[in-house]
Amino acid sequence: MIPFKIGQPKKQIVPKTVERDFEREYGKLQQLEEQTKRLQKDMKKSADADLAMSKSAVKISLDLLSNPLCEQDQDFLNMVTALDTAMKRMDAFNQEKVNQIQKTVIEPLKKFGSVFPSLNMAVKRREQALQDYRRLQAKVEKYEEKEKTGPVLAKLHQAREELRPVRDDFEAKNKQLLDEMPRFYSSRLDYFQPSFESLIRAQVVYYSEMHKIFGDLTQQLDQPGHSDEQRERENEAKLSELRALSIVADD
Amino acid sequence: MTDSGGEEPPSRPETPDREGRVPEDKWLLHQRLAVRELIDTEVSYLHLLQLCAKDIRSRLPQLPQGDLDVLFSNIDDIIEVNSRFLHDLQETASKEEEQVFLIGNLFLKFQEELERVYKVYCATYDQALLLVETYRKEPELQREIQSVIEAAVPQAGPSGLSFLLVIPLQRITKYPLLLQKILENTLPADSAYPTIQRAASALQDVTTNINEYKRRKELASKYNKVEQLTLRERLARINTHTLSKKTTRLSQLLKQEAGLVPRTEDKEFDDLEERFHLVSLCVTELKSNVAAYLDNLEKQRLEGLVWKPLCNLARALVGPQNLIKKRLDKLLDFERVEEKLLEVGSVTYEEEAARHTYQALNSLLVAELPQFNQLAVQWLGQILRTFMALQRDLAQQVLQRAEGSLAQLPHSQVSEPAFKKLVEETLGQNGNQLQSFQENFGKVLPPPTIQPLLPGAERQVEALLSRHGPGKLYQVTSNISGMGTMDLTLLRGQIVALLQDKDTKGNSSRWLVDTGGHRGYVPAGRLERYHVAPREEGLGGYKGSCDDTQCLMPEPTPAPASTLPTITQVVAVYPFVARSSHEVGVQAGQAVTILEAHDKKGNPEWSLVDVNGQRGYVPSSFLARPPSPAPWGWNLPS
Repeated sequence: MIPFKIGQPKKQIVPKTVERDFEREYGKLQQLEEQTKRLQKDMKKSADADLAMSKSAVKISLDLLSNPLCEQDQDFLNMVTALDTAMKRMDAFNQEKVNQIQKTVIEPLKKFGSVFPSLNMAVKRREQALQDYRRLQAKVEKYEEKEKTGPVLAKLHQAREELRPVRDDFEAKNKQLLDEMPRFYSSRLDYFQPSFESLIRAQVVYYSEMHKIFGDLTQQLDQPGHSDEQRERENEAKLSELRALSIVADD
Repeated sequence: MTDSGGEEPPSRPETPDREGRVPEDKWLLHQRLAVRELIDTEVSYLHLLQLCAKDIRSRLPQLPQGDLDVLFSNIDDIIEVNSRFLHDLQETASKEEEQVFLIGNLFLKFQEELERVYKVYCATYDQALLLVETYRKEPELQREIQSVIEAAVPQAGPSGLSFLLVIPLQRITKYPLLLQKILENTLPADSAYPTIQRAASALQDVTTNINEYKRRKELASKYNKVEQLTLRERLARINTHTLSKKTTRLSQLLKQEAGLVPRTEDKEFDDLEERFHLVSLCVTELKSNVAAYLDNLEKQRLEGLVWKPLCNLARALVGPQNLIKKRLDKLLDFERVEEKLLEVGSVTYEEEAARHTYQALNSLLVAELPQFNQLAVQWLGQILRTFMALQRDLAQQVLQRAEGSLAQLPHSQVSEPAFKKLVEETLGQNGNQLQSFQENFGKVLPPPTIQPLLPGAERQVEALLSRHGPGKLYQVTSNISGMGTMDLTLLRGQIVALLQDKDTKGNSSRWLVDTGGHRGYVPAGRLERYHVAPREEGLGGYKGSCDDTQCLMPEPTPAPASTLPTITQVVAVYPFVARSSHEVGVQAGQAVTILEAHDKKGNPEWSLVDVNGQRGYVPSSFLARPPSPAPWGWNLPS
């Protein structure tokens, strides 16, 4: 009894061009998967940072307001109250912005990414089918080369029968994937377009509010049009005034 | 009148009314002398000062500028004031009668300026002396300095620099003495007398104030730094003196707390302190909050214009804080001393000094804290306003950039709520599309590698499992056609248990296995370890065709079903002859329908089947899934 060995078929059952196409398409999709994952992570980090920043901004004004100094000094109180109002409003807008981004960017990203596992499984299955196909093909070829005796013919027939479904199965999988993969890949443009638009719009809305709010605030309280150097000079002046007092230590 | 002495001063024989005048003349003479002295010394003093400032200072280039500033301090200011003073002084010389009066006025006029200018000099004097000492330690440097000084001021002597530096101090304290001398030689009746008197006391005040100022400055610089002492240094500092100080303070504090001793209430100070406390609290809080804010937002300008000034302000707080603390300590000392004073009526020198210290500190703080508080609050306001302006600018910058990008987008003209709806719709559509993709990929048929077991076979597996253990189970990977009598013919996917991994001849590629019904040999290469897998693999069927069998071909189910469809349509692999009325016979390759995959007792080795209408039990292992191609039926033992 000749023990069977799983050999490689002689003829190339999958033409090279087909194989190459497959590799190419799948490669692109693998890259896309990687990028999607990274983008998802970055968006999440950005959203978290936004929230943290807003919270700390609110804390600034809240603490200032709770300091009794405000009760003693009317001007100070006015200023701090105005600042506090501004900060709270900014926080509300920020929350809205983050929510909007969550809905229109982060969620869709996640959904997009969840297609990949199915794709990967499907590719694996095709691969396995290919292996089976190869194996059975080799078997058939082996029998074909032998002397055409009765038992050999019987075995050949059997091998061919086994081969057929497996080959058909592989062909089907291959075709399906070759069809679907490019479609999926090109769908990404249309898919992400609204998300990115939404992202930018959300930023615009937020920052225009911020600009308005703080613009009003500075109009109300500050001398607008102060340049940076002017401000620095004012700071220096105050510092030297303080230092001139003997109770202040010189370092 | 005869004199007893015989010798009379020539002035005596003068008439009484001349008698009055002779002393007056004498006094006048002394007064004139005193005035002369004042003016002359002023001249030489000023001359010396100018020498110092010009000749000496400029010829000591080897000393760093900082040192020179400390040594000579505000000598230029002093020169300026004293030059004017001298000028006016010399002018009075022409007005003989009124000279003294004018001089007095002059002093009063210059009082403030003198105080202001000498105050500063005196405050730095101690530091200057320290510097001189360090120079003395370097013989080379000392020689150079000495030569320069000797060239300019020969009378300076060996202790040149210190001799010169002390001169202004000496001068300012001399003024009251000089004035006093003039006063002594002025008749009380003289019109100038009150003026001179006032001038003398004024200059005395000047001296006192200068000392006081110096003292306060020393105190402030002594206490307003945070001392970074190591533990050892701290320990070294503890001696009986400090211990007794601390214990008395503590007892005083306790007494106060207990209400035994009235606390010296200083409302004004308390208010000030409270306000200061609030200010410092505000600053420190703001500082830490801005730090947190900055962590989340990186911005250059913010740091320079808000953060750094805040840090500076916070640092400036440290000095007053320490002083306030010290004042409290000194207050306790002070109160104790006051007590003692009441009890005993006198205090030691040390205690007196303690009193003064407290008073000095207190007045210093009272004087300067309001200013500090005000400045600090103003500065805080400034910083906050800057912060707001920066926020606005930041918003503007980002807005510009974002709007630029927005303009490039297709929907830039669409209003906000309309856009939101649009986005939602699109996303919904996209979601559906994705869903379909996912399904499509899932549809890629799973390969027929691991065949799901027949229900009967599953029980069989369980039986094998319990009999042989999980490590022994193998699955047939491809159909085995047994050749010899002991060889088994098995279907792909069937489960067997390994009994021996070689045959009787020692051939390890032939294994003895147990199918649950039969035992025999199979090629080892056809077997794969079987793990009792969870039943989730989707069922796919062969999309194959079986053209020369009698088997039925059920349509393969394409969906990735998660449940196992119960297999009812099977094919009998081996022929079976019924031996009892419960059993039913089947032929090889015959299609049957499984009704129950176990017998009435639950034994999985038997299945209840329907064969062309007839019902009965057949061995479960004789059954197999239909899509197996029949060709192997060629080798069936018949």
